[in-house]
Amino acid sequence: MVTRVALGTVFMVATLMIVSFTAIDEPARMAQFESGYHGRSVEAGAALYANNCATCHGPDGKGIAGRAPALNAADLYNGTRFREMGWGGTTHDYVYGAIAGGRPRASAAYAEYPQRMPTWSRDFGGPLRPDQVNNIVDFVMNWEETALLEVVAEKPSDFVAVGLDLKDPVLPAGDVARGEKLTQTYGCVACHMNPDMNAAPGPGWPAKYYSSGVSIAERAATRFTAADYTGKATSAEEYLRESIVQTNVYVVAPYAANIMPVIYGEQMAAQDLADVIAYLQTIK
Amino acid sequence: MALFKLHVPILDDIKTKGWRSALVTTVDQTVERITAGINVGEIRSILRGEAPKRPNPRVKPHADGFWMHMRPTFFHEQVMSLYPTFRLGWLTTYMLVFETITGLFLMLWYTPSPDIAYTNMLSLLSNVPFGLFMRDLHRLGAELMVMLVLLHMLRTFVTGSYKKPRQFTWFTGGVLLLLTMFLSFSGYLLPWDQLALWAVTIGASMAEATPVVGREVNLLVRGGADIGANGLLRFYLLHVFALPLIAFIFVGVHYYKVIIHGHSLPPGAEKVGEDTARKVPMERRLYFLPDVMTRELFWTVGWLALMVFMVTWGGWHAPLEPHADSQITPLHTTAPWYFLWLQGLLKLGDKVFFGVILPGILSGLLFVMPYLEVGPSRRYADRRIGLSIAALTIVIMSVLTFMGTPYYGVSSSPDQEVLTTLAPQTHPGLLRGTAYDELPVGEWVASGWNNAPSQGLQAVLELYNREIERYSDQLLNAKGKMSITEIQAGLKQVTMQVEWEDNGAHASEPVTVYLHRDSDYEH
Ligand code: HEM
Repeated sequence: MVTRVALGTVFMVATLMIVSFTAIDEPARMAQFESGYHGRSVEAGAALYANNCATCHGPDGKGIAGRAPALNAADLYNGTRFREMGWGGTTHDYVYGAIAGGRPRASAAYAEYPQRMPTWSRDFGGPLRPDQVNNIVDFVMNWEETALLEVVAEKPSDFVAVGLDLKDPVLPAGDVARGEKLTQTYGCVACHMNPDMNAAPGPGWPAKYYSSGVSIAERAATRFTAADYTGKATSAEEYLRESIVQTNVYVVAPYAANIMPVIYGEQMAAQDLADVIAYLQTIK
Repeated sequence: MALFKLHVPILDDIKTKGWRSALVTTVDQTVERITAGINVGEIRSILRGEAPKRPNPRVKPHADGFWMHMRPTFFHEQVMSLYPTFRLGWLTTYMLVFETITGLFLMLWYTPSPDIAYTNMLSLLSNVPFGLFMRDLHRLGAELMVMLVLLHMLRTFVTGSYKKPRQFTWFTGGVLLLLTMFLSFSGYLLPWDQLALWAVTIGASMAEATPVVGREVNLLVRGGADIGANGLLRFYLLHVFALPLIAFIFVGVHYYKVIIHGHSLPPGAEKVGEDTARKVPMERRLYFLPDVMTRELFWTVGWLALMVFMVTWGGWHAPLEPHADSQITPLHTTAPWYFLWLQGLLKLGDKVFFGVILPGILSGLLFVMPYLEVGPSRRYADRRIGLSIAALTIVIMSVLTFMGTPYYGVSSSPDQEVLTTLAPQTHPGLLRGTAYDELPVGEWVASGWNNAPSQGLQAVLELYNREIERYSDQLLNAKGKMSITEIQAGLKQVTMQVEWEDNGAHASEPVTVYLHRDSDYEH
């Protein structure tokens, strides 16, 4: 009996020890399960996307002209697109809502799509279960990182950053259309194309998004001559160039310094900067 | 004032006997109350391993205590070694209690609705400390309980313990066998994953063939033509309420019968035709306190340690497949292992005969066996025929179980078989288990496995090649193609296709598997 009791006690202590070790590892284990499950959700979403979405949005999410817009594109993740729809939540929820409920009409920016986005969730009469909609959202959101970084990824090997100077190098001629695209990929639009003027962290570009009703093109043309101007620009182009590469030199009230990052001089090539400036000067 | 005078006996004791003695008396009385009759002195005597005094003061709890009155005061020492019971009945009882406790924990996090059940499982595993641990223990316990019941039945057959007067004990045991299997089976559905849905669909469709009532019973249990919200709720209520309740009642009946007749002695220990289980001579008695109790606790703790070890360092985990989907029938779904023999029987032919009538007759025979097999001797030498039939039954059941698996008599095409082995629809399989970085982007062929740039890919292609060669008589000049592309950051697409010749060129339906860097199928 003594052996039995002793051995039983050993078993009990061993069990308690294993349980304690398990307890120590629980937070890490739960986190691992969470990320593992997210991975599986993306996988399931990929299959669902291939079967249900790829025919209109393209297998690579780049969209199909006349059918459906790109999902693998910066403007979906930097907030431009959902702001245009008047959505106040996160990108994730916007994507979920669009997939689950479909779209009663195409947004103004995508008026060229005659087919409306169908409803997918069973909750609204669609064919998919809510968890499947979640899988697709996880898959779509998995594009976010690369879509936003696309510009960086496209940089050629002989890339030369434009730097911080206002005159050197001399900028080549700008391409307005490319400039407009770049403002999306660099994420400028998230702050500067926000219809909600009071909520936007930066001044809106179009006249209708700015408090005094003046567009960025007009503001740039005159501001460098203003009495309280503290920068070094001597032309509208230089003023815009300065505002982009040396963001804190001159900040217009009521906006605060250090909101707009001082990174674009390093990220943009001379051509990029020229294109963006050319585009800004066309905004009404 | 006398009206408010409090009577605190210990104060009186302290006054008359002094601190020490008063305290000792109080502790002693308290212990005696808790143990329903054993005082501190007796506990010390037990711990010192002393023989009990006469009359034995250690039988008092059996008379006074509720729990102890269910247990005999002593057993014959010959039924208390490992043989003849192997503790199987005790461990089964323990599993029933164990499943109740772990099950209660799981119930806290579970809602029986197809909309949310699977999500509940995910949050149990990702947000509840010890959620995985409890789920694994509950699932492992369920599987072990079925095994223990079967082994326990086998042992009572082998030792001839079902013979007169214990026929009814066996009969109630039969009821418990069915209850255990259905408890386990009803729990199978609850996670609401593909495994659950299809295993239960297969199980339920076997019952569908029952003449006359099959369809009705099925509708009643499933709550509709398919298993949906109603079916899940019904299975849930069976699993957490009805079946456990009946099981507890029947364990009571069963154990009552065991006690009434006494544990049967080893067959060789008594004369043929005699049953001396209830006449235990003084010198052969083993008292419950402390000998039997410590033995039982020892087995309980040992068994618990084994299970805890298995679900932690042993790496045993309850499976969780993708969300249940009635539109997607996975290739090669099987019933739970203890019903595979039925699935095997069904492959032999007619659904009604092999699926219902034959198993019905067999289980009926199992129940009434003790009333038909009435040979007086329990000795092995006198029961050669019976023991041979038992051995034969085990062999037949094993063969039928094998026949129930996809390895026997499956009708799908060899190219699909090959691809399903690599990327099974019922469990993760080798491809999904391979690390993300071990699957380099590119076009690969199975036969070139030797030159694969990574070990992981090499293992996958080697299996691919081996499977193709297995079917080389049907897949002539076959080529197993595998293309791996990275379609998103951290997401690869693996597409496989088998090409072969047979009066012209053929190609299988391509099978595509997506693999995310984090998906971690190993855990
Ligand atoms: C939930 C399922 C079951 C439980 C909890 C259970 C429990 C027990 C216990 C505690 C004992 C006494 C100890 C021992 O013999 O190991 C026992 C004895 C017995 N059981 Fe079971 N049992 C179950 C299922 C079965 C089944 C399926 C059968 C056979 C069809 C069966 C037939 C017997 C018989 C004949 C005895 C008497 C053994 C003897 O006197 O030596 N039991 N059972």
